[in-house]
Amino acid sequence: MAEAQTFETDFWKDAQSRKGWDEIVPGEPRQTIPYTLTREAIALYCKSVGETHPLYFDEAYARTTRYGGLIAPPSIHIMLMFACTPADDWMRSPGTVNAGQSWSYNVPARPGDVIRLEARALDKFIKRERLFVVHDNVFFNRAGEVICSGRGWTIRPM
Amino acid sequence: MTVTFESLNAGDSIEGPSFAVSRESIRLFCDASLDYNPLHLDDDYMKGSFGKTQFGGVIMHGMNNFGLISRMITDWAYPAGAIHRRLETRWVKPVRPGDTIRPSGIIKAKQVTAKSRWVVIDVVVRNQDEERVATGEAMVEFPL
Repeated sequence: MAEAQTFETDFWKDAQSRKGWDEIVPGEPRQTIPYTLTREAIALYCKSVGETHPLYFDEAYARTTRYGGLIAPPSIHIMLMFACTPADDWMRSPGTVNAGQSWSYNVPARPGDVIRLEARALDKFIKRERLFVVHDNVFFNRAGEVICSGRGWTIRPM
Repeated sequence: MTVTFESLNAGDSIEGPSFAVSRESIRLFCDASLDYNPLHLDDDYMKGSFGKTQFGGVIMHGMNNFGLISRMITDWAYPAGAIHRRLETRWVKPVRPGDTIRPSGIIKAKQVTAKSRWVVIDVVVRNQDEERVATGEAMVEFPL
């Protein structure tokens, strides 16, 4: 299975190749990339929000829990959203404003998991002169189990 | 404090950790989340307006709020053998460098279904002026 490409951190670089609000088709799948979740990526995410629970760091402790080994925090999908999409994905358009999200968690993501995303725009609408897109996302592990599923509302840049 | 499903009541509160927001914390969250949107990094870009929105300066990533709420929920649930199963949030006010934010929760309801037990929690993130910057709702499962 293909590994994730080198991540492009310059969100201006491919700005012209991304779909604008007019081109986004509700229901149309977004291109995605399988991503191998690493302990290092989990540790960096944990550091960024102050997560210190041993379930994320201490293998011996994690083995004694219901999870039977290390897991990632549920909200690791925040990172996976970008790790699993290419540089021309419209979610990287500069000026994209996140208005809210809802997520349901099933099985935890774990270090070493090859994670796959199925994602699409689900709806688009105009409200108070702002252009909104609703997107939905489902993350799977290699066994085909659902890690989590979620929906978000973004205001698109004009 | 470790809780049990039986001991919980509507109105019980959950306190989360306070989080000091700085340009460095915002940058670290960009690195950790791989979200390098100029909203969080580019002062010049943020002087302008886009999408009928103007913030006047860089803002913290909204999902940083989400991560803090999630951390509060899991730190509360794990010792009880409970599982964080859902979180829905909306951002109501931007968070800027220099702000200090803190998530908290209030138990709204308990429910027993055919195969498990659930707690619904109203969550909120407030800044140092007690203004609400994010609101939402979480679900935690207490497995039988």
